[in-house]
Amino acid sequence: MKQTNKPSMSRVLRRRETFSAYLFLLPSLIFFIGFVIIPMVLCLYTSFFDSKLNANTPDVFVGFANYVELWRDPVFKKALVNTLVIVVVSVPTVAAFSLWVASAIYKMKDWMLSAFRCIFYLPVVTGSVAVTVVWKWMYNNYYGIFNYVLKGVGAIDNNINWLGNPSTALWCIIIILFTTSVGQPIVLYVSALGNVDASLVEAANVDGANNLQSFWKVKWPSIMPTTLYIIVITTINSFQCFALIQLLTSGGPNNATQTVMYYIYYTAFKLYRFGYGNAMGIILAIFIAVLSAFQFWLAKEK
Amino acid sequence: MKKLLAVLLALAMVLSLAACGTKKEEPAPVAEPTSITLWTYPIGNWGDEASVKALTDAFTAETGVVVNVEYLSYTDGDDKVNTALTANQAPDLIMEGPERLVANWGAAGYMVDLSDLVDAEDRAQLNPAAFAACETADGKVYEYPLVMTAHCMGINYDAFVEAGADQYVDIENHTWTTEGFFKAVEALNAKFGDNVAAVYCGGQGGDQGTRAIVNNLYGGTFTSADHTSYTWDSAENVKAISELYNTKGITFDPAIVGGDEINLFRQGVLKMAFCWNIAQQLNTDNNDAGLTNDGQRIEFMSFPSETGASQLCGGIWGFGIFNNGDEAKIAAAKQFITYMCDSAHTAEAVKTANYFAVRSTAGGTDISNVWADNEIMNEYNVLMQYLGDYYQVTKGWAAARTAWWNMLQAVGAGTDVQTAVSQFAAEANAAAK
Repeated sequence: MKQTNKPSMSRVLRRRETFSAYLFLLPSLIFFIGFVIIPMVLCLYTSFFDSKLNANTPDVFVGFANYVELWRDPVFKKALVNTLVIVVVSVPTVAAFSLWVASAIYKMKDWMLSAFRCIFYLPVVTGSVAVTVVWKWMYNNYYGIFNYVLKGVGAIDNNINWLGNPSTALWCIIIILFTTSVGQPIVLYVSALGNVDASLVEAANVDGANNLQSFWKVKWPSIMPTTLYIIVITTINSFQCFALIQLLTSGGPNNATQTVMYYIYYTAFKLYRFGYGNAMGIILAIFIAVLSAFQFWLAKEK
Repeated sequence: MKKLLAVLLALAMVLSLAACGTKKEEPAPVAEPTSITLWTYPIGNWGDEASVKALTDAFTAETGVVVNVEYLSYTDGDDKVNTALTANQAPDLIMEGPERLVANWGAAGYMVDLSDLVDAEDRAQLNPAAFAACETADGKVYEYPLVMTAHCMGINYDAFVEAGADQYVDIENHTWTTEGFFKAVEALNAKFGDNVAAVYCGGQGGDQGTRAIVNNLYGGTFTSADHTSYTWDSAENVKAISELYNTKGITFDPAIVGGDEINLFRQGVLKMAFCWNIAQQLNTDNNDAGLTNDGQRIEFMSFPSETGASQLCGGIWGFGIFNNGDEAKIAAAKQFITYMCDSAHTAEAVKTANYFAVRSTAGGTDISNVWADNEIMNEYNVLMQYLGDYYQVTKGWAAARTAWWNMLQAVGAGTDVQTAVSQFAAEANAAAK
């Protein structure tokens, strides 16, 4: 009898446990469905409509017309290229710089390590508006500190309009993005490097490995999950670069700093073309998903 | 049994209805006071909570209608309103200009027609140009105007005197000619270097200033008279943009907007500002009214034109009502509009806005002398005769103004003026269709 009852008892227990687990998940699930899944579905749905801010005109189903228009829109193409430039430049530099800084500081005394962590993390916790205002002042064409210093040392004769010049504006944005992006990766790398099994490093050293070899052969594989996380997060953040653009350049000059995120905002909230804006959002999401999947695959292969 | 219960229930309901019918003599329950929401952009002190509260408290005391006010900024105010509209959470009342209330939300079917508030007497009293901007071609009134002004430009008069450029301005009438303007820039450039003026084009902030300088220099227009197309690709405008671009001392700057230009002007960096109006002239944030931060004298000026008589862009502000489907709230909102715009209280509402009234009489009260005690406002009145066409109600306005500053950015980046103007004007006209 005992033998026949056992499986049914465990099934009941399992069901109870599963039920409890789902109960614990429920609050997060409600938010996830309400603020992520439903908006995503609505975004996809609306992208097939000519949807405008108009109480008198119903949305008109246009199929893939918004997507076709996207590929004929020179501003969208420019925005996509700018976004890709930001991603391609930002992601490796942020990851490499963070790893370099973390490698240099993770063995320091506790108080020094904390001080460095605070310094590099400060731009992350400072409000983006405050950070942007300070940078805007530094880049100012008329009284900015960069022009003042460069003129002072004789490097330039005339002021450079950093944010007003199409050839410098995007790089100015990338520099700000870089300073606000490195804080979290440095903290993560410091933690990851501190958690590398010391016995493995010692064993490698005993076997005659130099510092570079023990880093590439032992530490680097150990911190690969952290690297992957940093790369994915930085990629997503770079794709979603918006606040800097809105506060500094509004996509100008001459669309030189136009990004997909800002163009989505502009199309939806300034031109009231919700359907077209949503189509752009879907394309951006596809780009992010594909790139993230590629990064995961690459990390797995390694 | 069930049938019996059903009969008893029905009887009970009938009796309760009959009982309700016999309670006529009992006092009716006290109705909740009607409350309405007002969202206001920072139009003078209509963006200041203490000033607005004084007005709304007085309105509540007289009518019993409670007004909940939310203050919008020009940076994200439109986004908030649009988000509210899509979520059916729009306020009852909104205070702004016809470019938003009429051309945008009115045209999109979200506003209540206020034509029942405007009788023949009102039409006779209201400034015709201001009222015309608030009324659609088919006679719908989506904004009841309260105040207006003419946007102008500001000059650092002390710097003009120092550079010998004061000879080119008629300071008594606050006018100058196109020829005088370019000679003044030349003199200021010789004296102070490159930063005489900036054709700011970083965004929409204060963009009426760049449109006004370009349109006035050689008599160009921004739109057709019937507001159906954009005409800024005319030969007059191309000539004006080319002249501005080729004049030493004037920079096409895509890194700044109107607010930045005003700051640079107040700091003494720029010697003239294309983004100026009476509110700026009265501003005392960093020094007394009419002075730069360093104490140099600021004079307001009409935009230069070949004859000296310019066409100034108007600023018109008033109230509109969003159609939220609640007739009681709509009625209360109309009551609010009448109280502020057409009653003995209008003078206070006008003074709070720091601009000029759109009418001389309101609710039988003469308000023509509302600024009699203010010397600067009185002097500024000289520009009101130059108030031009309010063309911001043209279809596709949001896209057209973006095309305008994108065009200026392209010119500033070295694109041929005719090419840039033609390309972006075509974009604007595509949006107007």
